[in-house]
Order: sequence, then structure tokens, then C-alpha cells
Amino acid sequence: MGATASAGSTPIVRESRPTRPSRSSGWIAAWLPAIPLLALVALGLVGPAIVLVAQTFVDAGGFTVAQWTRVLGQAVNQEAIVTSVALGLCSATISLIIGAPVAALVSRMLAGGRAFWLGLLNVAANFGGIGLAFAYLATLGSVGMLTLIIQSLLPSFVPPRSSSVIALLLAYEYTNIPLFVLLTIPAFGVLRDEWWEAAQTASATRVQFWRRVGIPVLTPFLASGWLLIFTWAIGIYGIAYGLAGQSGGTGARIITLQIGSAIQSDVLNGTARAGVLSVVLMAIATVSLLSYRALLRRALRWF
Amino acid sequence: MSAAAPAVAAPNRRAGAGGTARRAAEAALFLGLGLYFAVPMIAVLLYSLATRWTAEVLPEAYTLTWWQSTLADPEILAAFQTTLVLATLTAAVDVALVVPAAYWARVRNPRIRPLVETSAAIPFALPYLVIGFALLQFSGIVAPGLQGTFPLVVLGHCAIAFPFVYWAVDGSMAAAGIERLSEAGETCGAPPWQIIRRIVFPNITPGIVSGSLLAFATSFGEFALTQMVGRGIYTIPIWSASAIRSYSGESGDFNRLAVVTMISFFVLFVLSAIVVYFNRGQAARLLPGAATVDKREQP
Repeated sequence: MGATASAGSTPIVRESRPTRPSRSSGWIAAWLPAIPLLALVALGLVGPAIVLVAQTFVDAGGFTVAQWTRVLGQAVNQEAIVTSVALGLCSATISLIIGAPVAALVSRMLAGGRAFWLGLLNVAANFGGIGLAFAYLATLGSVGMLTLIIQSLLPSFVPPRSSSVIALLLAYEYTNIPLFVLLTIPAFGVLRDEWWEAAQTASATRVQFWRRVGIPVLTPFLASGWLLIFTWAIGIYGIAYGLAGQSGGTGARIITLQIGSAIQSDVLNGTARAGVLSVVLMAIATVSLLSYRALLRRALRWF
Repeated sequence: MSAAAPAVAAPNRRAGAGGTARRAAEAALFLGLGLYFAVPMIAVLLYSLATRWTAEVLPEAYTLTWWQSTLADPEILAAFQTTLVLATLTAAVDVALVVPAAYWARVRNPRIRPLVETSAAIPFALPYLVIGFALLQFSGIVAPGLQGTFPLVVLGHCAIAFPFVYWAVDGSMAAAGIERLSEAGETCGAPPWQIIRRIVFPNITPGIVSGSLLAFATSFGEFALTQMVGRGIYTIPIWSASAIRSYSGESGDFNRLAVVTMISFFVLFVLSAIVVYFNRGQAARLLPGAATVDKREQP
């Protein structure tokens, strides 16, 4: 019966085909409204990315890896890559350690308190760039407010140099912790009250519940939040540019600052250095994004 | 049985001597968090109002001079104007490009969706600095005449901000059930432009508002990309960066920067508040891409 029905319906579909407009105009109708957006992507993102990668492998003589060996062989660039990755790891880990308990608590709040903290976290998460760098200087700079307060209690206190890695880390956390909380709050909704009740019925302790149920369920969510913070922290430029301000090149060496200064001051070698370092950042970001997607797929089993 | 279970569970959850200690720890955590958010803001605000502030815990005296001189400074006003025009254009262009594409992906051609979603992942993952440098190199080959011009900066800002608009608009379309609404419109014989204007737009207003505000905010605060591709385009972040770099210790430099920072912060605060309101208490950035993976898992 089923076979006859499907056999009977096939000719009807075939018959309707010739009545459609020609193949090319059908293609246009199917894609036209999306073409402006796809053109923006092609001109603003994909085309530039291809050119950027290609340029690092091409010179006057054709294909070459000379730029890569030269740039990656320089101690400055090696130091920048190591520092950036370490900064990203530390930043993401601190965000996880502080952010996860905060997310757990905010997710259990009543509507009023929840909206207040979500709003506050949202503002802090969106505050970045030069403004945040200045806020850091006004707080923990050599004459910052917190510096002056601490010095009035402890006269020997000297704040970390504003261009040092520690200062960058402190400033990054101002947006990264709230971002981490916002990213992971939905995950805590996954832990259903019934599971805790079921665990109690089986006379499990709170510790056992978290070890056997809570943490395993949350791990993929927390790990994907960690990965995003890691990826974004490596790519931060504005805050670092503002904080490195008065150091005159003696501050922390990180990839993004090296790219910026290579373009602005290094006339001979600048484009090659900026290109290779940019592609390094691109590679890190791509690997992180793919891992993020894989993790997310695992995490979403619980929805 | 099932009705009794929560009654047993509820007191258990808060019972024991650990309850008060836990409360105290929670209170301390949130107090610390509140201070951590507030102190830098208060410091910037005081800087914008301080006459001199180098030795004491609080400024020696307060004044509105910096606010007056900053708001009368033609350079800063011009930078604000440029920033606002750029951010408005970015939001408007992104909405104009994203809405038709997202709509068509839903009602006609589902093959648009994976393309757009993969594209949205690019600015999501890549640092804006790298996108800016790539755009600089690309424009050097394709259109050297555009380098350092305003249109190129607009193109860059639109390219990095469009995912926010897409996620917001697409989410709104899903919530409104735009496929069925559109079908109903077609059944009544409405032409496509009328469907878009009178059915699609009114039903996805929350998505358009929050999407365009997020795009506006992204453009408003963007520094790395503007610095890369817009030599000579003078926005507020660019002005702030040169102010912070050229700081000579002279009184006034940092105070004016404090005023500008307060104003930008206030703008971002208002935008965030509106977005949070339109998302009804939901955070604006929920694990981006989560919906995508979810839908692909269940075709």
C-alpha cells in the first residue's frame, strides 16, 4: 500500500517542475534575500582571512615558509606566544574558580535579586577596552584610589606595574568573571531538583550528589565556558594597549600588542610579523571553537 | 508520595550548623563581588570630579570644571559624533542585511542557515584585531583607495557585529513562529514586501531592538579594528587611547579621560539595561551557538 502511494505521488512532483521558472531564476529567488549578508561576510571576513593566511606563505618568489621560520624563530615572538597562552589559561581558570560558585548562587536566586545581579554582571561583562584600562589605572595605578587607600594603611605598598602581566590579568578578570557567569548560568538550570530529591531518597549526602551527579553533568558546560574565556582572553587588545601605554615597550609581551606595534612601528618586517602572529591567533581560535562545539554537543544532552 | 518529597527535601537543604556559615560565606562573596564591580567605577567618577588627587585617599576638592571643559571640547564632541554615526550605521546596516536573510532561511531556503551560522562563528572566535589586520591587507589588494576611509570602517564594524543581530533576530523569529505567520499572510494573498513589513517586522521587534542595540554597543566600544583599518578616523575609543598614551602627568589629562569614560560607560549601561529588559531578565549572552547545535542534533 505504502509503495503504491509513494509511486503514485512521484509523477505529481515531477509534473510540477516544468511550471517553475527556469533553473537560474529559481536559484536567484532562493538566494537573493541572503546575498547582501553573504556579500558582507565575503568582503569583511572570509576574503580577508584567506588573503591573510595566503600572504604568510607567499613572497616574491612564490610559495615559501621562510616568513614562518623567521618570525617563529625570533625570541620576542616566542615569548609573546607563550605569555599570551599562559595569560589566557590563568584568566580562564580564575574565571572558572570564582565564576562557577557565583553562577550557581545567582541561578538559585528569586526573580528580583536575579535580575539585579544579571544586570550588573551584564554591564561589567560589556565594559572593556580603553575605558577599562583607564578604570584600572584610576583604581590600582600609581595614584589610583585603591592604591592610595592601601598605602594609607600600609605605606610600603607598591601596586603592580600597570604594563605587567599581573596587571593585565587583574584588568581582564573584571570582564571575564562576569562573562563566565553569564555564559554558565543557564547550565545550572539543568540540575533538576528531582535529581537532588532522588539522591536524598537513596540517602546520598550533598558531597556524593555533587561528585556523582552535579559535577559530571556540569563539566561540559563549565569546560565550554572556560574555553570561550581562554579564546577571548588571548585576543584582547584594547585593555592591553591602554595599560601598556606609558611603558614604552618594556611591559608584558603578548601576541596582540606585538601585532599592533609591528604594524605601527616596524616598517621593514612589520607586515610579515603581524601576519604570522595573526595566523597563530587564528589557529588557536579555530581549534578552541571546534572543541567548544564538540563540548557543547555533549553538554546539550541534558536539555 | 511525590507531594511529600519536596516537603522533606526543603528543610533538609538548609538544616544543620553549616547553614549559617554558608549564608555568611555567600554574603561575603556577594559583598566582595559588589565592591569589585563598584570600586573602579567610583574611582573613575571621583577622577572626573576631582581638583587634585595625588596623595590623599579621597580627592582634595571637587569641581565640575572637567565636565564643562570636556563637553565643550570640539575634538571630543567630534569624536562622539563620529562614534554615534558609525554605531548607528552599523546597527542599521546589519538589521537591513540580516532580517531578509534570516527570514528567507526560515521560509524558503534552509540551506542559507548553515552558511550564515558558520559565518557568524568567525567574529565570535577570531580577535577583532586579527579581523582588522586581515581587512587591512585585503583592502590593500582589492581596493587600496578605500584604506583609511569611513566606508571601510563601517564595513569592518558591520562584519564583526552582525552575529549579535542574527542570533537575536533568528531567536525572535523562532519564538514568533514566523513560518506559520508568513504562510497565513500568503494565504491571504499578501505580496512578499507586505508580509515583511506588516507581519515579520512587528512580530520580531524584541529581536530587532536587542540585536541592533548589541550591534550599536559593539561598534561604540570597538577599538582594535578601528585602529587597524581607520587611520585618521577619530572615534571615542581612539581618542581615549591617545589620551591614555600621551598622559604626561599634567593635571586635567586624566580628568577629561575620566569624564569621557563615564559617559561611554553610561551609554553602555543604558543599552545593557534595555537589552536585559527586552530579554525579560535573561542574560544577553547565553552560550552563543547553543541553539544552533541543539537544532542540528534534532533535524
